[in-house]
Amino acid sequence: MAPTVEIHSRQIGHPEWEEPFVVNMGPQHPSTHGVLRLFLELDGETIVGCDPRIGYLHRGLEKLSENLTYSQALVLTDRLDYISSAANNTGYCLAVEKLMGLSVPRRARLLRTIVCEMARISSHLLWLATHALDIGAMTVFLYCFRDREWLLDIYEKICGARLTVSYTRIGGVRLDFTSEIVEELYRFTEEFPSRITDYETLIDVNRIWLKRTKGIAVVPPEKALNLGLTGPSLRGSGVPYDVRKFRPYDAYDEVEFEVPVGQNGDTYDRYRVRMEEMRQANRIIRQCLDKLSETEGEPVVAEGAPDLLMPEKKKAPQAVPHPKKGFLVKGAEVPVVPEGEVYVSIEAPKGELGYYIVSDGSGKPWRVRVRAPSFVHISAIPEMVKGHMVADIIAVIGTLDVVLGECDR
Amino acid sequence: MNPIRTIFLTEIARGLWLTLRKMFSRPVTVQYPEERKPVAPGFRGRHALVRDSETGRERCIGCLRCAKVCPSRCIHIETERDPETKRLVVKRYEVEVLRCVFCGYCEEVCPVNAIVLTEFYEYVGYRREDLYFDKERLLANWDEFLATQKRPYFNPYWKPRGVPEKMLPAPKRKAEGV
Repeated sequence: MAPTVEIHSRQIGHPEWEEPFVVNMGPQHPSTHGVLRLFLELDGETIVGCDPRIGYLHRGLEKLSENLTYSQALVLTDRLDYISSAANNTGYCLAVEKLMGLSVPRRARLLRTIVCEMARISSHLLWLATHALDIGAMTVFLYCFRDREWLLDIYEKICGARLTVSYTRIGGVRLDFTSEIVEELYRFTEEFPSRITDYETLIDVNRIWLKRTKGIAVVPPEKALNLGLTGPSLRGSGVPYDVRKFRPYDAYDEVEFEVPVGQNGDTYDRYRVRMEEMRQANRIIRQCLDKLSETEGEPVVAEGAPDLLMPEKKKAPQAVPHPKKGFLVKGAEVPVVPEGEVYVSIEAPKGELGYYIVSDGSGKPWRVRVRAPSFVHISAIPEMVKGHMVADIIAVIGTLDVVLGECDR
Repeated sequence: MNPIRTIFLTEIARGLWLTLRKMFSRPVTVQYPEERKPVAPGFRGRHALVRDSETGRERCIGCLRCAKVCPSRCIHIETERDPETKRLVVKRYEVEVLRCVFCGYCEEVCPVNAIVLTEFYEYVGYRREDLYFDKERLLANWDEFLATQKRPYFNPYWKPRGVPEKMLPAPKRKAEGV
């Protein structure tokens, strides 16, 4: 099938050709980080046009969650950005909690912050590994995966799953940490900064790395804002926007951390920002662990949090204590979740991840809309690759850190 | 780039020095089929139905809470009344493993801790039926799993740590290991 890009109006390419040379890249290309398909219009080896096609990983998660209860739909959010599922869980839970007006206990907030930052480190490690591998550095890939494995092992101890964690629940978290996990995390935070130094030794001043990243896909701050970039991709351009600082959620208002920003807005700056973010994430985990000992023995689920088995009906009887005997009995019928609409955004590793939920009072969300950073970032690819070589498009896809599971949903 | 670095390749030498040092450090690779990593307690793996040591039957009481909470709706249960004792008997308990998302909701909501996601992760099949567990298969999974465990076995999701007691159903509050 011929691509439907507007190509006939421009005279480019070989003078005898009427059309420019169009190359199809993906969806099975290993460095498109999933199933991204790009139509590239080439003039020699220079890219003059790019048309991303998405939808190869569409599973209809937003529509699916309309037929599940709020706590069941949480499981689907694991599959959005499958590299940092804990962050997705947290964002969804924050949205539902805002809808229900629940206040999460401090210990649960600290635990969530820890797993979110672990997700950030693990996501950035995978990003660094694949980005370096795409550009041609094999050793970094191996070292990053070694350390990511450690994090996944800790996830396994925390909640029993390595990737699709489903760790949070509406009103808190599902399991408390054991002292073993806290010790292991302390060991990790001790060790990890030296590991980051290792990666930096390998590629920070490496001449091949510099040639492939410096001055590639420069995005000035205004353009980055206009393109809708968020997260490290925006901060690489020098805009210090971070949801954790602007609208603190969970325990981010209790901890100290810095928001690293770049200067030139090129691929190298975005790399530097992410490396620095890993250090800050490590620092946040450390502070949260110190605070965790203050809240020893506190519950991790909020008072009045819904059961995992939520009623699907519009109204359900409330559980109220019996006036004389202690046990709970059926009370008045109330809406399961208050009617209304809510938008909550969090700083996911990839960027600003937002959840917009409309409730009609029943136990199922009427509509769930996910503002996925990867979707917005993919729309920025054509702007960023124009005028670069074919090999640079690999660096651009890598530097934006897109995950197609989140983009297509 | 300064000329000394350009001529002497200092950054490349530093990188190579690092990799050389790592060559003599302890390898982290696990040679999988020969050696295995320890599985964390509470790992959400292959399903099993807990066998009651007193009666020798499944512990399940057929309340259908797991079938209702399952996000992928992969649990199918059929119950009937025993005409003599008038008790609810689980006639059919089937798990479609190929649909399961391993969220662990079923073991968390079960009031009598009858279903468990075991720490066994090597289950494959040549046919679809191999991964369609009926009641006998689920009980066999449990026996197979329990033989490898230190007793008493206790799954963290049977009584989640940190969850206030009043949020749990009464039998779960005094849950003990098997």
